[in-house]
Amino acid sequence: MPITDTPLIATIAPLVLRNVTQRFGKHTALRDLSLEIPAGRIVGLLGRNGAGKTTLLNIASGMLLPTEGTCTTLGTPSGQLDTPQLTRLGLVQQEGRCLEWMTVRQHLDFNASFYPRWDRDLERRVIEALEVDPKRKIVQLSPGDRQKVGILLGVCHRPSLLLLDEPMSALDPVVRKRLLDFLLELLRDDGCTVVISSHILNDVEKIVDWIVALDAGEIVEDSAFDVLQESYAEWTLTSTNGALPTTFNEPFVINHQGDARQALLRVRTAEPDAAARFAVTHHAEILTRPLNLDEMFPLLTSQRKQKS
Amino acid sequence: MPPLLSVDHHNGVPAYRQIMDQIKLQIATGLLASGAELPSTRALSAELTLNPMTVSKAYGLLEHDGVLERRRGQTLIVSERPAAARQTAKLDPLRRHLTGAAHLARQLDVSPAQAIKLFRELLDS
Repeated sequence: MPITDTPLIATIAPLVLRNVTQRFGKHTALRDLSLEIPAGRIVGLLGRNGAGKTTLLNIASGMLLPTEGTCTTLGTPSGQLDTPQLTRLGLVQQEGRCLEWMTVRQHLDFNASFYPRWDRDLERRVIEALEVDPKRKIVQLSPGDRQKVGILLGVCHRPSLLLLDEPMSALDPVVRKRLLDFLLELLRDDGCTVVISSHILNDVEKIVDWIVALDAGEIVEDSAFDVLQESYAEWTLTSTNGALPTTFNEPFVINHQGDARQALLRVRTAEPDAAARFAVTHHAEILTRPLNLDEMFPLLTSQRKQKS
Repeated sequence: MPPLLSVDHHNGVPAYRQIMDQIKLQIATGLLASGAELPSTRALSAELTLNPMTVSKAYGLLEHDGVLERRRGQTLIVSERPAAARQTAKLDPLRRHLTGAAHLARQLDVSPAQAIKLFRELLDS
């Protein structure tokens, strides 16, 4: 195991879910879900709409109590989060509720009064970077500006655990880049743990080191991002004998299109010589190309967990 | 002056690997000399706005492979490497680039002699 030059942070995992099931009437949003996120990780929480991402984040923040199972946030059962934990928790919701009648400045000052670690210098820099006008009333803000306020309220107190649910869907690329830079800064300076749920996969893949993917309320992936990058690939096959099979039985072939002379495969395998052996078996030349997160997403989020 | 590295986050190649390959290339081309100091994980990840895990993993593996070493237990420096290792370090990136060209030459039915002649032309230009 290579030695790294960052110190090992020996703390309890800031977020642990054990056998969490969440039902809303007849609908089961999360099924027997278990997840442990250690400190200092930036996790991309991915999934189709309705997969359960917002439910998971709401349970983590204590906004929702699980129907079954337990959630421990910052070392405390999520249903019992109190001041010591809440001042270290940052939450940026998809549709955050604000006090509409306040100006941005008033709302920031109001929130700051609850948090001993509110960082006025960080606040000033984020206001400038996100291009927020503090004098405007919340009720007058566009959806994009509301998201910016939500972000300000979620990060300025330097949380240890930051949960973001679609925090930047209405922001332009320039502002999004600046936000991502701030998230990295929080990680670098404070060892903050970040869980970000976003469909802007281009942004997600710039900062995360871990991927958790949900499909219909179940975790279908819980892996290091670079391991996924090294496992998924597109293989372009050119037959040397014009006789490629119509189906490939190897379990790592996820999908394939083509004919007897050439084929395009999407594969998932961590074996470094899988392509070379495949080329020999099927009498073909292989060119391999890694997949980016946009390309991996449909393959990740449509995996069915194997039930034994 | 931290090494100028450029990570493409969207090409599917893990960022740590891109950093490793670029540092190795800079060493092989002499841009990073033996004994040259590298910035700390924190400094480099701040400079390049990268997840510190990425830099940490790259540095750790380069140290494990003997490409980098620690001076006085703290600073990371470029190792002095034997001639054979330096030669391999030059040929590896070139081999990677030429693999696709070799594949294409075979597909186009261009003979090795023709392909080498072409490569020689390009080297001389």
